This record gives sequence, C-alpha cells and structure tokens, in this order.
Amino acid sequence: MIVMKEMNISDYKHILVYAEIKDDKVIGTSLELLGEATRLATALGNNTEVWAALLGNDQEKYATELFRFGAQKVVVCNHTSLNVYRSDLFGEALTQLIRKYKHETVLVGATYAGSELAPTVAAKLKTGLAAHCNELKIDENKKFIQVVPAFGGKVLGDILTPNHRPQMATIKSGIMQKIEPIDFIGVVEHFECDLSSVGNKIEVLAVHKESTGRKPLNESDIIIGGGFGIGSKEKWAQLEEIASLLGGATGCTRPALDEGWTQGEHTMIGTSGVAVKPKVYINFGISGAAHHTCGIKDAGLIISVNKDTCAPIFDASDFKIVSDWEKIASALIEKLNS
Amino acid sequence: MFEIYQVNKFKKHNMFQFFNSDQKSLQKLVREYVEQEVAPHAAEWDEKDVCPDHLWPVLGQMGFFGIFVPTQYGGPGLGLTERAIVLEEVSRHSAGLGIAMMTHDLAIAAILNFGSEEQKQKYLPQLISGEKIGGLSVTEPTGGSDFGNQNTTIEKTEEGYVINGRKCFITNSHNAVINVVTGTSGVNEKGRKMISAVIIPEGTPGWSAGRKEHKLGLRGSVTGDVICSDLKVTADCMIGKEGDGSKIAMHTIGHFGRSGMAAIALGVIRGCCEEGLNFAKNRITYGKPLTALQAIQLIIADNQVDYEAGQAMLYNATSIYDSGVQCAPEVAAAKLFISRNAIKAAERTIDLMGGYGVINEYPAGRFLRDAMAIIPSGGTSQIMGIIVAGNQLR
Amino acid sequence: MNIAVCVKAVPDSKYYDKISIDPATRMMVREGIPTVISDLDKHALEAALALRDKNQGKVSVFTMAPESALDNILEALAMGADEGFLLSDRAFAGADTLVTSYTLAAAIQAKGPFDIVITGNESDDGSTGQVSAQLGEWLCFPHIMNISALVYSENALNVTALSEDGSIDYKMALPAVLGVTRKLNKPRLTNIMGMLKAKSKPLTVLHYGDFPTDDNYLGLKGSPTQPGAIYAPKMSRKTVELTGTPEEIADRIVQELCKAGVRH
Repeated sequence: MIVMKEMNISDYKHILVYAEIKDDKVIGTSLELLGEATRLATALGNNTEVWAALLGNDQEKYATELFRFGAQKVVVCNHTSLNVYRSDLFGEALTQLIRKYKHETVLVGATYAGSELAPTVAAKLKTGLAAHCNELKIDENKKFIQVVPAFGGKVLGDILTPNHRPQMATIKSGIMQKIEPIDFIGVVEHFECDLSSVGNKIEVLAVHKESTGRKPLNESDIIIGGGFGIGSKEKWAQLEEIASLLGGATGCTRPALDEGWTQGEHTMIGTSGVAVKPKVYINFGISGAAHHTCGIKDAGLIISVNKDTCAPIFDASDFKIVSDWEKIASALIEKLNS
Repeated sequence: MFEIYQVNKFKKHNMFQFFNSDQKSLQKLVREYVEQEVAPHAAEWDEKDVCPDHLWPVLGQMGFFGIFVPTQYGGPGLGLTERAIVLEEVSRHSAGLGIAMMTHDLAIAAILNFGSEEQKQKYLPQLISGEKIGGLSVTEPTGGSDFGNQNTTIEKTEEGYVINGRKCFITNSHNAVINVVTGTSGVNEKGRKMISAVIIPEGTPGWSAGRKEHKLGLRGSVTGDVICSDLKVTADCMIGKEGDGSKIAMHTIGHFGRSGMAAIALGVIRGCCEEGLNFAKNRITYGKPLTALQAIQLIIADNQVDYEAGQAMLYNATSIYDSGVQCAPEVAAAKLFISRNAIKAAERTIDLMGGYGVINEYPAGRFLRDAMAIIPSGGTSQIMGIIVAGNQLR
Repeated sequence: MNIAVCVKAVPDSKYYDKISIDPATRMMVREGIPTVISDLDKHALEAALALRDKNQGKVSVFTMAPESALDNILEALAMGADEGFLLSDRAFAGADTLVTSYTLAAAIQAKGPFDIVITGNESDDGSTGQVSAQLGEWLCFPHIMNISALVYSENALNVTALSEDGSIDYKMALPAVLGVTRKLNKPRLTNIMGMLKAKSKPLTVLHYGDFPTDDNYLGLKGSPTQPGAIYAPKMSRKTVELTGTPEEIADRIVQELCKAGVRH
C-alpha cells in the first residue's frame, strides 16, 4: 500500500475543471462546471483562478471554447496513449497533472468516464471525493461544501473535505449553469505526463458509437415523462405523439425503462439518470418516488397525471390531475391536433 | 429473506408465531418470486382462463414442486407445512395457478408414499423438476364424493392392465402427461368394488382429454374430462397392489389435496386482507381515507381474524402430519373452515370497496369466484363435515 | 478461479420514510430498518456465479457492515456463493468510499489470492459509484466500471464498458476489478435448495485486528470526506388540482403551455 504524504493544505490553490471531449467538442457538462467554478472562485476571493484540463491528442484546439465559458488557464496534456479513454492511463495522467499544479478543488462531470476517472484520481491522491453533487457552496468560513443526495434523493447531506487536498466533486449534467460566453483568451499551459509506469494490463479493443441522432434530454424545453403506469409499449406511443406535437422529448422512470417501452437509458430521469430543467414537464403514470423527483426539481412548470390521489409526484407538482392517464392524454392529443 | 440477525422494527406484528426460521425464510423466498413472476399476470390468467404451464420448469427449479420429497429422491426434504406455505403465497395472487400446482403435487405424493422404488426413481425426478406436468384423476360422473361407486375399470391382462372410463372435473386434464388414475378392479369378498390406482406414463395410447370446462373461479388452471379408452399399461404401473386405490386416494387427497385447497383458500383470504387494506388507505371519502371509518375498520378486523384463524388451523394440521401422524380430520376441518371464510372475506372486501368491488380491474371479484370454486374442489364442505363428525363419533 | 464479490447491505427502500438521523453524530440511525443486498451487487454476484459455474472455482462475498448484515450474506450464500466474510467493527464505522474500499481491499488481500473482484457500479443508498475504481487502486489491479458485457477467455477478461454515445471494448489482464451495470445479466432467483444450504456454508465475521490494516485509513477518522448537515430537499411548489372532463383539463393544460412560452 502506498503511504500518504503529509499534505500541506495551504500549498493548494485554484479550481480545476476536467474538460471532457466528445464528438470533437467540449461536453456541455464541462462548460456548466466552468460556470460553477467561476461562481465559486468569486465567492472564495483571494485570487482563486478557474483552470481547465484537457487530456488527449492535439487538445489545444478546445482551449478557445473553455476560455469563452470561464476558464482562465487551460492545461493541455497531450500523449499518444491518450487517444481513447482508458481508466489507468487517464487516471495516471490527471493525477500527475494535479500533483504538479496542486489545485485546491477539482470538478469532474459525472459522465460514464468521469464517474470512473474521478474516484481513480481521488484514490491515487488519497483524497476525498463527493459524487453526484446537487449543489456546491462556500460557507461563511470560506469552506467548500458539497451537497449530495442519498437514499434515492430522499435526503440531502453536506460533505466537507477538511484536511485533504484537492477537494474533489463529480456533478451530473444539467445541474450547474454555464456563464454567458465571454470574449476572453487566457493562458494555455502544456503539461508532459509520464505514462511509462502504467503498463498494458488494459487494452482497448474497439470503440462502438451509436448515433442516437436525438437531442439530449436537457436541451428540450418541454419533456413528457412516463412511468410504470403507462402499461405497455403500444400505450407509450401516445406520449411520443404528445412530445412530437409539442416539439419536445420523452423521459421516463426506471420501471418504464426496464419494461422496454422507452427511448432508452439516456432518457431516464432521476438520481441515477439525468436531471432536467425544461420549461414544462408533463408526466403520466409516474408515482413520483424521491429518486425521480430529485431529477425534475428545477423544471419550470410540472403537470402530473396519475389515477392515485396519494401519489407522491403531486407534492412536487404545480398542477395535479387525478385521472386515468389515457383519458387526459387522448384529450390532449385531440386538442393539440385541432 | 433471512431474518436471523436483524429485527425489522417496522414489520406489522405477525399474530401467527409458530413458523421456524427456515419456514419464515421460505415464505419470503416464495413471496419474492410470486411478486415478480405471478402477481403481474394473475388477472390476465383469470380473464383469459389460461394455465401458465410454461412456468413449470421454473417452478421446479425454484424447488416448489415435491417440497415434501426426501433428498434421496431429489426433493428438498421438507414437509406438508412448507408446501402449504408455497401454495398460500401463490394463491394470494393466483388461486388458479395454485390449484394447478397443487394437483401436480398430488401425483408426486401418491407415487412417493405408495409407489415402488422403481416407480419413485422413474417418475419423481421429472415431476419435481417441473419437466413434466402431473395429474391425479379420481372424480367421475357418478360422483366425487361417492368415490367407491366409480365406473372406470382397471382390468388385468397378460401384459398388465387395460383401463376404460371417463373422469370429469379433473385439474390439469389437458396438460398433465404423467397421470395417476383410480378405477375398479373386481370386487372383494364382501362384494364391494375394489379400487386400484395406476400410473399412466406419458404418451400412452388410449389417453385423451375430453371437454374443457369454463369455470366460475380458479381460472388459471385447466379443468376438464379425461378419457381412458382401451388404455393398456404394463403391470409395473400399478401403485401398490390391486385394491390399494382407496387407501392411496384417501391418504393423498385427505392430506395433500385438502391441505392444499385449504392453503389456497387461505391465500385468497390474505389477498382480501391486503387488497382491502390497501384500498381503504388510499380511497378518500368525506375528506379522509376509508380507514378513518369504524365500519371499515371492523371489516378489516373480520378479514384479519379469519386469516389468523385459518393460519392456525392449517399449519397446525400440516405440522401434525409432518410429525408423522395421520390427520385427515384436522385437515378436513381446516379446509371446511377456511374455504367458507374465504367466501365471507371476499364478500366483505367487495363491500368495503363499494362500486369498485364489482369492477373487474379490482381483484375482489376474482377472490370471490375463486373462493366459491374452492368449495367443491378436493371434497365438498358437506363431506368435510362428515369426516370431522365421524372422527368425533368414533 | 477465485472471485471476490463486494456486496453492500443497504436499507430496504420500502422503509426509507422510517430513516432517522442522529443529530449528534449526523449519521443515520439504522436499527430496526431491515437491510437488503444493493440491487447492482446482485448483478455482480450473478456475474461471479456464472463465471464460477463455467470455469470451476470459488465465489467469496465480502461486506462491510454491522452484524445485522449477516442475514444479507446468508442471502448471497443462498444465491450460490461459497463463503462469506462480514467486516464488522466499530473501528470501521463512518467510513467514506476511500476508506471503505481500503478496508475491503485489505480483507480481500488477507483472504486471497483472488483472480477477479466484482462489485456493482453503485449502491442503492449512497450511489457514489466510487468503490470499484478505488478498490482497484488499493489492490493495484486494473479496474473498469460501467460494464455491460463480460467474457472470460485464456486468463483475461473481454469487457464492454458503456459510454454516453455507445461503448468501448477492453481486454483486461488478471487479476482485475470490475464495476457492473444492470445491463450485464439477470440475477438468478434463489431457490429452496439454495436457501437450505446457505446456513452450512462458511460465514466469518472479521473484526478489527483479524486482518492487517493501517489505522490511518480506517473509519470516520481516516476518511478524507466528513459528513455535515443532513436535510430534506425542498420541493416547495403550491399544488393546484385540476378537475373537470378530460377535454376541459386538456384545454387548461394547453393554456398553461402557452403561458409558459412553449406553445403559441
């Protein structure tokens, strides 16, 4: 076991956002985290800077986008081995980067890769990591607090990392806000990582890309949600029709996803799925367990339809409709078609 | 599943306290399976009147068939009590599936308790695994109660026996492939018909299923006629010897059949308790849930008392059997009491639900129909009464 | 092939509303709330059992929890695991993921060697999804999570890890650590025979000192992250009930859509 070196907390400064690249651009989540980092840096004061890290090949080209959305410094770590994501190589590279620059706080988007990269780095650095944070705060003592959901979102808890650095957090997409893009070019720094110690215990065999060709859920202004109460794939089609008539997308809960009626895992809304903030969320046949409502709490207007008057979804809704969902859905389709 | 090291502080107080920890774990195991694989389909099986026999291999794999069969024959080596637990759990949602499973077990029980070593080795494994569906045919147009007067003949031939006759109201009539059938083999010294029991192996020519009945309740099982027409079997198909049929049928039906039916009725009562309670908690009238009304509370209490009484009677009877003592009167009393109360509980539950009680989307109507169909299954209430009285009058 | 499965005992979600929090230690009060095996860990267990069934070997289950979790290890044994270890001691309590994975790794090393270590991607209660990667780091084994497919061949594992827009196939040398998703398999149901056999399988409670550990990495004291205040999420919306015929309600919904600016 590797022994932890004594950390001198005052050596650590600034906030680092790991910038993940997909389809040749910086993912929205990383830009949202830059926005949050900007707000945190302002709250901390003391000349705290917002940095971003890029790992891969020829990553400089993404720096401009990062500067537009809040980065003041961008560290680029290019290495031929970093062409495809691999937990061991990316973990080692980011760890070395942080060891060199000693960021006080590191934010990583809770994507599939990020959710693996962050704990890997936290373990290598023997530091603390809070996952799927709902909120990040600076308290009156300038302490960094991470707010995480537990028990499927029924409860929120504060997490602090008092004696270890960096303080790390992963955050899902749609939770934080991007800043309005600004005209700014900052400093690009190149970092050379040494991956010779990593070895070849993992080998990339193939990369499979599925073109979903569909807007990610949190880019829709209106989302139609469906749950187990829908009953069948044939009936689910009515939700798709409503979404289509309104120019929106459909979302679902886990039970509906498991039944195979929905557009897929990426449309599952909840603590283990996506968080969404549409202008309007209309849902049918969803009971509204905490882990789902946690994912919709920031929606503009929530209209819920369920035949059970005691369904918990109504506590989280602006409009409550107690009815057999099909009656409302077909009336709505008729109205929208007329 | 196991609750040996932890105590669930929030579980509803269980009045019945005599399950051992293995029985409690078994109950949970079966309940988990039933909630996942049976409950979502129970209403559909009832509506369409189909028996889900595609589940047989899975039920076998779960260990639900022949649960009383000793390990040397491939069973879990438990008892009648554990079998009743399984049937109660299944029947809480689908009494139809319950009776189909119950009947399958009768074939296993008859062969286990009275068959030769060869018969046990040959037939028990396929029945326990659920690979083959089993049946037991006794009732005829001459009567089920009037067992001794049956007309099916089992006549000795050079190679074995030839069977002719028609049985009716037989569960698993159209899907069982290994069947135990009773019939007459001549008369004894007193001139009374001698009843024998034979195993009819799969695919024996002369075996066919006749009319299929459309039942009021216990839909989810197939019931109908079976016909033996010049059906020839080898001598090694006779269970025990000629004339043993009465003993075999009485023991098998008297213990396994009737405790099974009692367990099924008990499951129906529990269904009434749970559905009634759930409905009452969620239905709002006069601005409050129904549970606020004393009239409803008393219905809930009556259902619960019927359930508790049924548990005590049934599991007492099965425990006596498991301790090695025959107990046909105790089992008969349990079947009589529980099946009658199942009808009452279903009726009460329909009352509790008001208009919703008579809507087919709610299960209370099915519970009532299943309860009524349980009455004549495995012996009418009157016969049960005669057995209990007979025991008192000895 | 020796496979270790790390399983978490989590409060049964049916009883979430009975959970209370001790204001002094800010830790959850768990007594009386039954625990179940976290859902994804069942998929991990199934993966281990399937590998063992095909390749001969042994499946050992490790859980770090209070002694009440022995019931959950029994469940894992009933499902088919060969032996179970419960890491249970006051010294281990309050651990965050870094320290939990350290303690588990220490026990795994003590009771090993193991060829494969499998756990669920994340647990039902905390859902941090961090333990599998950190286990890998402590054990110095290659580790991959988000696994949706898995094939063992010639002393290596071919795995598929999910990503937002598809998946990536990797080959891993053994020994290795895996974090699995629901997509990987369907956990087998425990049958009666399994339930009866469970109690006679080896089940050991490991206390502090029963296996080598470094005090710096144990329990609440060793955890870099510390819990702060706990509170309920604010879902403050004033709910208005809409009644009427479906047509009247549909009209009202469209009105609200226009007001919200999504329909004109």
